[in-house]
Amino acid sequence: MTFPMQSQHSSPDLIVHLGPLTLAHPVINASGTMEILELADVFGEDVLKSPPVGAYVPKTITLKPRQGNLPPRILETPAGMINAIGLSGGGLEAFVGGSLPRLLTLSCPLILSIGGFSPREYVELAAGLRQALQAGAGDGWTQRVGLELNVSCPNVHSGCLLIGADPGEIEGVVSAVRREWPGLLITKLTPNVTDIASIAAAAAGAGADAISAVNTFKGMVIDRRSLRPFLGNVTGGLSGPAIKPLALRAIFEIFARVEVPVIGMGGIRSAEDALDFLACGATVVAVGSAGFTDPWLTGRIASGLATSLSERGLTLRDVVGIAHRREA
Amino acid sequence: MPRYENRESGHECPGRGSRGKAVRVFGWVAGSERLGSLSWLTIHAPGFPAAGPGQFVLLQPEPPACFLPRAFSVAGQRGEEISFLISPVGPGTKQLTNLREHDPVWITGPLGNGFDMDTLLAPPMRRAVLVGGGVGAAPFPLLLDCLATSASGPDLDVLVLLGFRNSSQAEGGQPVRAAAARLAAGGASCRIEIATEDGSIGKARLVTDLLAAEQRQGDRLAVCGPQAMCEAVWQTAREASGLSCWFSLEANMACGVGSCHGCASLRADGSLALVCRDGPVFTGESLYGVGEQE
Repeated sequence: MTFPMQSQHSSPDLIVHLGPLTLAHPVINASGTMEILELADVFGEDVLKSPPVGAYVPKTITLKPRQGNLPPRILETPAGMINAIGLSGGGLEAFVGGSLPRLLTLSCPLILSIGGFSPREYVELAAGLRQALQAGAGDGWTQRVGLELNVSCPNVHSGCLLIGADPGEIEGVVSAVRREWPGLLITKLTPNVTDIASIAAAAAGAGADAISAVNTFKGMVIDRRSLRPFLGNVTGGLSGPAIKPLALRAIFEIFARVEVPVIGMGGIRSAEDALDFLACGATVVAVGSAGFTDPWLTGRIASGLATSLSERGLTLRDVVGIAHRREA
Repeated sequence: MPRYENRESGHECPGRGSRGKAVRVFGWVAGSERLGSLSWLTIHAPGFPAAGPGQFVLLQPEPPACFLPRAFSVAGQRGEEISFLISPVGPGTKQLTNLREHDPVWITGPLGNGFDMDTLLAPPMRRAVLVGGGVGAAPFPLLLDCLATSASGPDLDVLVLLGFRNSSQAEGGQPVRAAAARLAAGGASCRIEIATEDGSIGKARLVTDLLAAEQRQGDRLAVCGPQAMCEAVWQTAREASGLSCWFSLEANMACGVGSCHGCASLRADGSLALVCRDGPVFTGESLYGVGEQE
C-alpha cells in the first residue's frame, strides 16, 4: 500500500517569525504550564531533543526565590481550572546557574518570562539575563532568546498585576526594560482590565515587539463544607476552555489596535481552537492548562493545524486576522 | 473469580534506582468490579513500565467528562494490566468507575517516588505495618506483592490495619486480603485487622485504635489515607519509640509531573513540597516534625 505524497504547495508552511526568532510552527506553551526539564526527568530526554513547542517558555522568573502561595493552590472548575500558585521558583540566580544552560541546548527558541514587584525589578531581571546570555549563549543569542514581561499574574499581592492594569505603569516598565534588552521583547497582558487594547497600545508604544494575551481571569471558589474561600490565596486565576470566548474577544480587540504581532492564548486544546485565535489576529498561539493533560499537546495541535489549513486551502499568512475582514 | 484474585504474585518490583521512565499511553478497560462503595478498575496499558509500590498514574477516559485527569495510586500490576482502587466521589472518579470493558483511557505514569523498599526492609527490620484509611488502602496490594517478591519475603512479619467508614466501603479491602494471602502463601507471616467507624464490622473504632493496641517498638509503618487519619497515625505512632513512618499523600493535581506546582503541601519546617515530584511518599518527620517528646 502506498500513500500519495502531499504536493509541496498544498502543505502550508508552519514556519513563523516572531521578531528575530524563527519558530518551526506557531504553537508554544504558556509560561508556568510546562516545565520541560521536569518532563525530561519523568519521561526521558527525548522531549529536549525534539521539543513539541515552536518556542519554549519556562515558568516566570522572579528576582528572589519564592515559595509561592499556601495550599490548596488548584481546583478543577466547570470547563477549566483555577490556580493560585503565586510565582513559586528559585529566583534569577538559580535559573541562570541551573536551568538556563540546559535550556539553551533546546533546538527551539527560548522565551524567558520575568515577573517583578516593582519596575526596577523588571529592569534588574532583564539586565541579569542579558549578561548571562552574553556570557554563555554565544553570538547571535538574540536570534534564539526572547523576553516576556509577565505584568499580569493575578496571584501575587503587589507589583505585577497593578503594573499590568495601568497604561502609564506599563509604559514605564516596558521602556525601561527596552533599554536593557536588545532582543525580542514581549509584554504579557492581563484580561482583568476595562480596555485591554489600550494597555496593548501603551506596551507597543513603549517598545514592546509583541503582545501576549491573555493571562488568567481573576476568580474564586468557595469550599462547600466550610463556606470559606477554597484557595489558600483566596482568589486565583481561571483558565481552560471556560475562558476561550473571552480570550478571543481580547485578541480581536488587540489586533485591531496594534501593529505588533500577538501571541494568543486562553483555553486552547485543539487545532480548531488554535485556528480561532489565528483568525482573531494571533500570529502565534500558546497552550496553557490543557497541556497538563498531555505534555505533547502543542506538537499535536501544530500537526492538526497543518492539516486544517491544507484542507481549507489557506496559508498561515491568509488566516491571521481573517476574522477582521468582512468579505467572504 | 474476581480479577484481583486471578493474579499470581510475582510483580517485578523495581527499586527507586531501577525504574523505567514514565509513559503516556492510550489503554483500555480490561475489567471493572464493584467492591461495595469502592471500585477495582483494571486498565490494559501497552508498554507500561513496572510501577513501584506507592507510585501513581494520571487517568483520563476518552472522551473525558472532566478537564483534568485524575491521580490514582497503582494498586496492582500484572504486566501491562494496571489496577486501581477508586472511590466514586465526583464526576471524574464516577466516569472512571462507570467505564465498561474496552472503553479507552489515557494513562500517564508511573509517577512519583513511591515507598522506598530498600529503606522499608533495611535491617534491623522487625515488622512492616501497613495502615490504610478508606480508599487509602489503594497502594497496599502492590506493596504486599512487592514484599512477597523481595529477597526477605518468606521471613517477613507483616501487619495490615485498614479503617473504613462502614462494611460497604470495607469490601474495597478485598484486593488487600488477596495480596496478603499471596504473601502468606510464600511463607511470610501476614495478618489483617479491619476497623469500621460505624461498627458494621466488629465494634465501632478507628484504624488508629487498632494501631494503638498493636504497635510495637521498631515497627516500620507505611501509611495512606485522609489527612486527618495520617496526622492521628503520627500522633499514635510517636507514643511508641523507635517507629519509622512513611506517609503517602493525596493532593489536587493538574500535571502530576512538576510543571504546575499546584499540588504543594506544607512540611513541618514550613517549606512546601510538591506531592507529585517530591512525593507522594514522605517521612513522618518531614511532614509533621519531631516535636516535643513528652
